[in-house]
Amino acid sequence: MRLYLIVSASPSLCPGDNPQATHLPRAWAPLARPPPHGSRLTADLFSTNPGALKSPVSEQTTTPEDQRSPEDPLTPPPPAASLTPEPHNPGTPPDLFESVAEGPVVVQGGSPKLSSVPLDLPAGGNGGEGKQQDTSEPPVPPSSILPPMGAPLTPPVVPITPTATPSLTPNITPAAPTPVTPVAVARSSPEQAEGDGGDEFIQITVSDPQKIGDGMSSYMAYKVTTKTNVSYFRKKHWSVMRRFSDFLGLHRKLVEKHLHSGRVIPPAPEKSAIGTTKIKLGSDKNADSGSLDFIERRRAALERYMNRTSTHPTLRADPDFREFVELDAELPRATQTSALSSAGVLRLLNRVGETVNKMTFKMDESDQWFEERTQQIESLDAQLRKLHASMERLVNYRRELALSTAAFAKATAVLSSVEEHSSLSRALHQLSESTERTQTIHHAQADADFYVLSENTKDYIQLISAVKDVFHERVKTFQTWQHAQITLAKKREAKAKAELAGRMDKVQQAQEEVTEWEGKVERSQEEFERISRAIKKEMEQFDVMRVKDFRDMVIKYLEDLMTSQQQIIKVWETFIPEAKAIS
Amino acid sequence: MAPILFQDGMEDVLPSETNGTKSGRSDTVDLNDSTLQVDISDALSEREKVKFTVHTKTTLPDYAKPEFSVVRQHEEFIWLHDRFDENEDYAGYIIPPPPPRPDFDASREKLQKLGEGEGSMTKEEFSKMKQELEAEYLATFKKTVAMHEVFLTRLAQHTVFRNDHNFKVFLEYEQDLSVRTKNKKEKVEGLFKSFNKSTDEILLAATQKDVDDYFEREKTFLLEYHMAIKDATTKADKMTQAHKSVADSYIQLSSGLSQLGTIEGPRLEKFINKVADTFEKARKVEGRVSSDEDLKLSDTLRYYVRDGSAAKDLLYRRLRCLANYEQANKNLDRARAKNKDVHAAELAQQNACEKFEHISNKAKEELNDLKARRVTAFKKNLIELAELELKHAKAQAQLLKSCLQSLPEE
Repeated sequence: MRLYLIVSASPSLCPGDNPQATHLPRAWAPLARPPPHGSRLTADLFSTNPGALKSPVSEQTTTPEDQRSPEDPLTPPPPAASLTPEPHNPGTPPDLFESVAEGPVVVQGGSPKLSSVPLDLPAGGNGGEGKQQDTSEPPVPPSSILPPMGAPLTPPVVPITPTATPSLTPNITPAAPTPVTPVAVARSSPEQAEGDGGDEFIQITVSDPQKIGDGMSSYMAYKVTTKTNVSYFRKKHWSVMRRFSDFLGLHRKLVEKHLHSGRVIPPAPEKSAIGTTKIKLGSDKNADSGSLDFIERRRAALERYMNRTSTHPTLRADPDFREFVELDAELPRATQTSALSSAGVLRLLNRVGETVNKMTFKMDESDQWFEERTQQIESLDAQLRKLHASMERLVNYRRELALSTAAFAKATAVLSSVEEHSSLSRALHQLSESTERTQTIHHAQADADFYVLSENTKDYIQLISAVKDVFHERVKTFQTWQHAQITLAKKREAKAKAELAGRMDKVQQAQEEVTEWEGKVERSQEEFERISRAIKKEMEQFDVMRVKDFRDMVIKYLEDLMTSQQQIIKVWETFIPEAKAIS
Repeated sequence: MAPILFQDGMEDVLPSETNGTKSGRSDTVDLNDSTLQVDISDALSEREKVKFTVHTKTTLPDYAKPEFSVVRQHEEFIWLHDRFDENEDYAGYIIPPPPPRPDFDASREKLQKLGEGEGSMTKEEFSKMKQELEAEYLATFKKTVAMHEVFLTRLAQHTVFRNDHNFKVFLEYEQDLSVRTKNKKEKVEGLFKSFNKSTDEILLAATQKDVDDYFEREKTFLLEYHMAIKDATTKADKMTQAHKSVADSYIQLSSGLSQLGTIEGPRLEKFINKVADTFEKARKVEGRVSSDEDLKLSDTLRYYVRDGSAAKDLLYRRLRCLANYEQANKNLDRARAKNKDVHAAELAQQNACEKFEHISNKAKEELNDLKARRVTAFKKNLIELAELELKHAKAQAQLLKSCLQSLPEE
């Protein structure tokens, strides 16, 4: 009994009706009735939560209990029910608080216990990201924080839901303690900001392009290798085989699911009928440099695409993405990505319609931020295209340089063999070799020009396109809203007319319609505002990523350039003594 | 094109030639040989032609004044060369190849294209490209002046050529030499003549056997060599061009980046501007690489193509002489057999013999000389080329390194 007394003294056990409730921090102690002090509570406690049995032993500190509780089986339904923000007896909180005063520990202890709350957080997994709450973690997340002593405990509605409680950390991988924003629940409550796992790491490589099959039914398969320490993936390092249409299918699904939430979906590499057909029809033996080039370009583009998508926390958590990356079997054929399928044709028609829409509908922009950003996006687009064109020119010229240098090397070799003066002949031979080496350097540099600079810039042009799509989604929601408002006005008019005409039956109907449309107006306005907010946030992230990517790209390119020059230095350094040796 | 006044001398262009042709055939250059010094002190480029100011300093008694200048045009140089070429006395010598005609067409075309495309690029870009083209034009101009000068210096330093009467006239005569460009008839004649010559050459090569093994070998060698070096020259030119294009494309990259910087705003602007600046500087270095390659490599090769051509001409003349000599021999035999005009035939034969021997000796000397000159020239230019390439590569590497170092400081 003694135990119980202690237990009961511990504030955390105060909440009466629900044993589970005792585990909850005060903030959301679903107190249906005044906390029964004493044995009754404990009895309840023990009856429902065997795990808790041990904890009382640890006097005030419920910590041990806390530590165990995460493992506790989810509470039976009734406690769960009590966890929801049901009306609690407002009267009880104050009691709790008094007792709380004694046990600061409780506060902490309370949090982990929440894990026993029947939240299917593990399913989300993402919820774990960065949401880890150690019992040792002093700062109790705001939403679950006990109000200061004496403050009335208003059971926060939001916190109770799985989304809100940061403290509701199931056994999540301890990521760096991050602010409250639970990501996993983002799906259920789009309002939540994305959690940013600081220590997370995911890297995807696309390699080993192989031709599977033969003739027109053949296709290229790529090995997708993922290395990650993100919790909700089953392993840390694995590979799967995927074909090109799988990538496109993934992109399409992501667009369908997330575009209207205002997210920027990284665009997938383009289809190319010519390149693909060449590969399909060509045999392995005579894979010429042109098609090898094409395969390499595509492989690099796919890799960049996967990495861009995986850095986006929401997209990364998307089940389709995860399935794509993880499923160790062939994915169902994304037949709808084929241009000739019915879905493809439908998509084409949709796109045409949208383009017309984009051109004709002029949105009455009230938001300064959007106005500025749209401008900036447009000029960025134009400028990047120009830059890309000059990069392509550079690549071409450098490739030409490599070729002409090779030709010169050969001609010099011929000259050297004809030359009768022996040391001059030797020197010319050296010149030929040096030039040959320079040629290789130029060729490699041209490749760097291409893959590092030009292709990345092209990606960015496409990303900007995706951004424009997102902006357009917003315009569409605005359109819907406007439309709803207009229709509402019409319905109201109709209703007024009916009333004037004294047609009671019509009035009834009109009234219904008015209500219906009022609801629609409200919803579409909400939608519009939601997407506007989401876009703003998304753009912040996009900007950060874009700036970083650009810097990385330029720095890498400059490093490549510098290496080339250093190699050229070596070439000429070896040549000089040879030239001097001419007698 | 506005007239460009070209003032300073260009001592660094093809001095290797002047090295080799000094009387006495030593490798060291005695630039203080003041008996006859010729240079081009000035040049003016007008729409269609270039006017060279040929300046002479001499201690020779034949000349009226110790120092004087005349204005000559390209056609007059060619006239001078032809006088040497046609002179039978000089049959045994390698006649210095004439300078190529000044050709600014390529530059002019580019400038025109630039003017047409002016609307599509920013002011900065346009002015930069214009600068580049003007520099290119200037470089071509310098080169052509240098070639003309080298031609004259070679003549001036040749023990025999320098005393040629036509040369004196060329240097001294203050009026226009009235060398009219060949009119149509003469052009056709000239074409016919050269056609004849080449068929003759081929015929001779096929039928005339050389008595001297040395010359046989030389002939074969020269032919092969000539082809190889011509090929190498064309490839070198293409390479230099490509290099220049790469350098030029940096301009657009650089300006494109700066524009991007202004759009991006404060976050990336400084970063981008630094990078754009680096590209601009790198471009200049690449441009220098290209022009140095052109100067040291392509030009050397090109010069020896022409010199080799002149040597081939020498060999041809000798061969023709040999054919004439043998013919004279036959004639003599026939005359003796018929016992008619023996004396005349004997005289002719003797002449031919003398001529032939004279040519052969001289030719041997000249060919050896050519070899030596060639080796020296190549050595010098290859070394200089390598050193310059090294210097530029180091400069670029350094430039990029310092850029990279300063970037993360953002």
